[in-house]
Amino acid sequence: MSQIQPLTVDVLEQEALPAELPPLTAPAPKGRLRRAPLPQWVRLLLSNPKSRGGLIVLGAMIVVAVFAPLIATHDPNAFSLIDSRQSPSWNHLFGTTDQGADIFSQVVLGARTSLILGASAALLSTVLATTFGILGAYAGGWIDDVVNFVTNVFLVIPTIPLLVVVSGYLKTRGSLTMILIIGLTLAALEARILRGQALSLRNRDFVQAAKVAGESTPRIIFGEIMPNMVSRIAAGFVLVFYVAILTAAGLEFLGLGDMQHTSWGVTLYWAQVNSTVLQGEWWPFLFPGLALATTVAALVFILAGLDEVSNPRLRVERTHRRAWRSLLLGKGRT
Amino acid sequence: MRWFLRRLLFYVFALWVAVSLNFLLPRLMPGDPVGGVLAHLSPAQIQSNPGIVQTYRDLLGGGKGSLGSEYVKYLGHVATFDFGISTSNYPSKVTEVIGRTLPYSIALVGVAFLLAFVLGIAIGMVAAWRRGGIVDNFVVPAMMSLGAFPAFFTSLVAVYFLGLKAGWFPIQHAYDSAVTPGFNWTFISSAVRHAELPVLIIMFVYAGGWVLNMRTVMINTIAEDYVAMAHAKGLSDTRVMTRYAGRNAILPPLNGFAAQFATAVGGLVFIEFVFSYPGAGLTLQQAALGADYPLTQALLLVFAVTVIVANFIMDIANFVLDPRVRTG
Repeated sequence: MSQIQPLTVDVLEQEALPAELPPLTAPAPKGRLRRAPLPQWVRLLLSNPKSRGGLIVLGAMIVVAVFAPLIATHDPNAFSLIDSRQSPSWNHLFGTTDQGADIFSQVVLGARTSLILGASAALLSTVLATTFGILGAYAGGWIDDVVNFVTNVFLVIPTIPLLVVVSGYLKTRGSLTMILIIGLTLAALEARILRGQALSLRNRDFVQAAKVAGESTPRIIFGEIMPNMVSRIAAGFVLVFYVAILTAAGLEFLGLGDMQHTSWGVTLYWAQVNSTVLQGEWWPFLFPGLALATTVAALVFILAGLDEVSNPRLRVERTHRRAWRSLLLGKGRT
Repeated sequence: MRWFLRRLLFYVFALWVAVSLNFLLPRLMPGDPVGGVLAHLSPAQIQSNPGIVQTYRDLLGGGKGSLGSEYVKYLGHVATFDFGISTSNYPSKVTEVIGRTLPYSIALVGVAFLLAFVLGIAIGMVAAWRRGGIVDNFVVPAMMSLGAFPAFFTSLVAVYFLGLKAGWFPIQHAYDSAVTPGFNWTFISSAVRHAELPVLIIMFVYAGGWVLNMRTVMINTIAEDYVAMAHAKGLSDTRVMTRYAGRNAILPPLNGFAAQFATAVGGLVFIEFVFSYPGAGLTLQQAALGADYPLTQALLLVFAVTVIVANFIMDIANFVLDPRVRTG
């Protein structure tokens, strides 16, 4: 493979993910930012309004999760019939459940469970997907066949029903089991993306050179190929983080998660099972739902920012302001 | 034709994978699935159904035979659609339960998903055509946020505000409790009325993915020479957008149909749970909670087959729409 053909991305992969921007053409940061000891990709992310917004919201949610026991005002598992089914007030900011537990405290402490569950599952699947995706693409042969086979399985079997069925088989559903089954399921999806990217790197000169120089396979995978895929792996992690949080909360909402813990999905499950909506109570589902929606929206924005940073074509410069003006002042279409 | 055969072969392979995974899952799980199932039947019920224990063993494992011979027995049951009795719907057979609930789900997700596709493609096309315009700046972010939100949360909010507070839609079940299901106008109108809100929700939740996909591809397509050529010929803007740029841009998103449809089928579980809608999704959730493994096993297979069939239909559509596939 000559250097004239630097990008031999296969067609599927090209559609799935935009081509990467060569680091040389990235806009040089100016002034204050240059002195900040941040790696370039972090600065790029912060310079993009979408990912900046997403990072700020996610950061706030992480702060809430870390200091959850200090912020929570009540015992999240309190049982008190006198306090039950109260609408939001100063004492109970988000109201109370049918059992009289404080929903604000449940949401605050639930942030911890939901974020840890999502992040752990995402980490597990990213590690697996990176290792097996690149290994498959690089080694080829039966290893690649196995990786390909497993990812094809997940093309035809819908993830949520699969997870519902697997959770049904499990008698005890602890946090660790949840992380394992969600992480394993999502790893297959992520491996497909990373394998495609690694395939395009496999025949590049620097990889061939390392091979000829007698480098070991793990060294080529982790030392040569992986560093060139960092932005893709990061994007994959954010994507899986987003899916994992949703999936974990979703399974809990269906009553098939770790129901002993306080988490957003569990609060939503009890709101649904006690048919609070039908009784006109909006607070038991609105607040945990909003917390979940805000978190996943932040991750989606980070992802969109990552996309724009690596694919300048998707960026629209300064048209938002014009569109707002035309909408407000009615000065015709832009 | 060779292309067609190759796709067919892939789907046969996919089907085999789905069937085999369903065989392996209960056998890989810790514990004793058959014992869990039998615990939900009384001794009298087991007595009155001779052979039921053996059927469960063949399906879920725990028999004495080797894995190979069990696999053959299992395949026999699958081929004859014999999944035993659903413990949570005793004395109904698993196949009866599926036959009762699946039509609701197929109607719901089929209609809603097609609408989502049409809506998403149209919005994505217009957004790319007028970059930075009103659709691009307001409708696209709105659709994307809706798509990013968890479907069950959107459903809960819609049930509360549109159903309960505004009273525009019925919010529970698939038809009025006073109506008996049958092929008559009262039932059909009641069923349609009850499906309105779930269909709207699925449509808006899943249109977001199409919008984004279509917009991205369309932006690249607009830069193509043949689009400039069409403009130069003096064709109307709408005609260039739909017949030239749009028609070509639609193909890559169409290839993502498979993954999207699988996601929508999964999302159905949540939406049916929120609406207490008696479809296959709600049945799956109830069966999983109630350790009705014969039913969950069969339903997972049904979901997989649905996705495979939908993929196959999309392949045929692709075949019709894309001349390159036909000749290549």
